[in-house]
Amino acid sequence: MRTRSIRMAALLLPLALLGLASTSATAATAPGKGSKAVGFIFVGPKDDFGYNQAAYQGSQAVKKQFPKLKVLTAENVPEDDNAARVMEGMIAKGAKIIFATSYGHLDAALKVAAAHPEVAVVQQGNFITGKVAANAGTYFGTVYEPVYLAGIAAGKATKSNKLGYVYAFPIPQTIANINAFELGAKSVNPKAETITVATSNWCDPAKQADAAKSLLGQGVDVLTQHQDCTATITKAAEKAGKMVVGYHADASKLAPKGWLTGSEWSWSSLYNDIVKRALDGKFTGSPYNGNYRVGYKTGKNPFVQSKFGPKVTAETKSLIAAALTDISTTGSPFKGPVYAQDGSTIIPAGVVPNYGTVEKKMTVFVKGVIGDLPKS
Amino acid sequence: MAALVVSLRALRADPLRSPAVRWTAALGGAVVVFGVLMAIKGAAPISAYTSMWSSLSSNRSMESVLVKATPIVLAALAVAVPARAGLVNVGGEGQLLMGGIFAVGMSRAIGDAFPGHSALIALCLAGAVGGALWAALAVLLRLVVGISEAVTTLLLNYVALNAMFFLIYDPWKDAHGSGQPATPALPAGQTFPMLGSSTVHAGLVLAVAATAIVWWALRSTRWGFQLRVVGGNAEAARRAGLPVGIILLTAMLVGGALAGLGGVAQLAGTEFKLRPGFLATYGYIGFLASWLARHHPLKVAFAGVVLAAISIAGDSLQIDSALPAATVNVLMALVLLAVFGWGARRVVPT
Repeated sequence: MRTRSIRMAALLLPLALLGLASTSATAATAPGKGSKAVGFIFVGPKDDFGYNQAAYQGSQAVKKQFPKLKVLTAENVPEDDNAARVMEGMIAKGAKIIFATSYGHLDAALKVAAAHPEVAVVQQGNFITGKVAANAGTYFGTVYEPVYLAGIAAGKATKSNKLGYVYAFPIPQTIANINAFELGAKSVNPKAETITVATSNWCDPAKQADAAKSLLGQGVDVLTQHQDCTATITKAAEKAGKMVVGYHADASKLAPKGWLTGSEWSWSSLYNDIVKRALDGKFTGSPYNGNYRVGYKTGKNPFVQSKFGPKVTAETKSLIAAALTDISTTGSPFKGPVYAQDGSTIIPAGVVPNYGTVEKKMTVFVKGVIGDLPKS
Repeated sequence: MAALVVSLRALRADPLRSPAVRWTAALGGAVVVFGVLMAIKGAAPISAYTSMWSSLSSNRSMESVLVKATPIVLAALAVAVPARAGLVNVGGEGQLLMGGIFAVGMSRAIGDAFPGHSALIALCLAGAVGGALWAALAVLLRLVVGISEAVTTLLLNYVALNAMFFLIYDPWKDAHGSGQPATPALPAGQTFPMLGSSTVHAGLVLAVAATAIVWWALRSTRWGFQLRVVGGNAEAARRAGLPVGIILLTAMLVGGALAGLGGVAQLAGTEFKLRPGFLATYGYIGFLASWLARHHPLKVAFAGVVLAAISIAGDSLQIDSALPAATVNVLMALVLLAVFGWGARRVVPT
C-alpha cells in the first residue's frame, strides 16, 4: 500500500508544479488583422430555438461570407471564468476575432482582451463602462422596439387582458423589454396588464415549465418570455390552447395555432461587418470599438419582427405597421409620459427619449406590469 | 458497450494481472466506446483524440487544468474524509457555496481594515467555518433526528444556492454593475496571488497542502484510526467505547471546512465575485472524484486533476471537432463506469 501511495504522490507533484512558465505579451498590431479563424462562444445549446441558435446561425453566415476563415464555435459556455479559458483555446487555434455572445460573458471577454491586444473581442448585449480598450467592444440591437410591436399584437389578441412574461434576470435590457411589451399592449388595450415571473436562469426548462404553469393558472392567455431557449414556454402555451409571442428566434412551428408574432435576431450582416472591419485592421476606432447600438431610427436593427400567426387580424397588422413607422421616425415606445409602478414619472410628458436615455432609465417596471423587482 | 463489459469480465477473471494493466484496459475500453460514439456523430475519433491531447499540452492549458482542479480537489476531499467514517456527503456543492458566501461576508465586514495577506487568511477562515457549519447541520440532523446525511446534504445544496441568490439579487448586489445579479469584485488585496508568472493562483497550494494533511491525518493520527473504525462498524466502535457521535461530527466538520476552502479558492483565485453559476457542478464532480478513487486522499486529488483535465480537453471536442457541448459528459461517464466496473468487488477502502 505504501509504495502505491508514494507512486500516487509522485504522479501528483509534477502536475502541481507544472505550467509555471510565463506567457509573453505579443507585439501590438491592429486587433484581428489577418486572422485565420474567428471564434464564437454561446452560453447555451446552439439549437435552442432562441438566442443561441440565432447567434449560431450568424456564425454560420460568417463562414459562408468568408470561406477562408475557420469558424470555431463552442456552446454551453458558462458565464464565468470558464468562458475565458474557452476563448483562450480559440486564440490558441489562430482566432484573432472573438464573439462572446452572452450578457454575462463580459468579464471574461474583457479579461481575454486585456491579455491579447492583437485579438479583437466583441461582446453581445452588455455595456462596457469607463474606458474601452482598443481591441474590445459591445454591440446589440434595440431589442425593445420589435417587442413593443409584438406587445400591440398581444394587447389586441388577449381576451382575459392578462399577459404573462417569463424572464431570467432583472437587467436593464429585460426590464426595457417587459415595459415596452406592456406599453405596446396598453396602446391598443388600456386594460392589458403584464404579469412577470423570473427564473434566474437563461435556460432552465424545468423552471420555465413551472413559470408557464403558474402564469396560465392566473388566467394569462398570451405568454411571452425573455429566455435564451424558448421551446418549453412556446409549447406550454400551445398545449393549453393559449397564445404565444416569440423571442430570439422563429418558433412558430412549435405553436402553429397559438403563435401571434415575435422578435428574432438576424445577425448575419452585423457579424459580417464586424469581421470585415477587424480583418482589414480597422477595428480600433470603428463604431464596434465601443458600445455599438443600432435601432430602427439609426440603421438596420438586427432584431427584427417574426412572421405573423393565423390569429393576428388585418386591423392589428395595420396598427403595428403604423407604430413601426412612428418609432422609426419621430416616436419611441417610451414616449412620455411613462409612469412607474409606484406612480412616479420615468419619462415626462412630451419627451421622446433617445436610445441612451432608455438604457439608463429602465431600472423599474412601468405601471401595468405586475411583479416586484429586487431592490438594490 | 458490450465489448467493454466483456473486457471487464475478462480482467476480473484473471487476478494475476497488475492493477496498472487493469486500469489501462478499463480506461482503454472507455476510450474505444467513446471513439465509436464520436464516429457515429460524424467526427473522426483519432483526430478528435489527437486534438484533445494537443489542446492539453500547452503550458496555458496545463495551468487551466490546475486552476479548475483546485476547487474540485478540495470538494473531493470533503467527500473522502466523511466517507472514511461511513458518511455519504453529497453536499460539496452547498458547502463550496457557503465557503464563498462566508468569505464575501468577511470581506464586506473587514473592508480594508486588514493589511496585506491577513485579509486573505481571514477570508479563508471564514470560508472554512461556513462550509463546516453547513455540513454540521446535516450531521446534527442525523445524530439528533436520524435523517440520512446523504439526503440532507443533497437538499442543503439547494438551500445554499437560494441563499446565494437572495444575497446577490438583493443585499449584496453590485449597485454599479451591469445589472446582472453579482456581488462587487473582491478588493485587490483580498485575492490570491499568482504563482510565479503563471496564471495559476495560490489556491493550488492550499489544495496540495490540504491533500497532504488529510492523507497524513487519516493515516497516522488517532483521529484517522477512529474514523476508520467507525466507518468499518459503528456498532462495534460504540461498544469499544468510542464517542461515535463526536467522531462523525468531526469528520463532517473537517469535510465541510475543506469544501468551504474550495469555495474561497475559487472566489479569491478565479471569479472574484459571486454570481448565479458560481461553482455550479464542481461539488458533484468532486463527489465523483472521491468515489472514483475510493476516498484515498492522494488518489482522490489525482482523480480530481484528471476529471478537470477531461473537462478542459472537452473544449477541444467542440472547437476542433464541432461535437455538441454535452459530449464531454459522455466521456466522463464512460470513464466512471469503466472504473467502477473494474473495481466492483473491491469495496473496502484501504
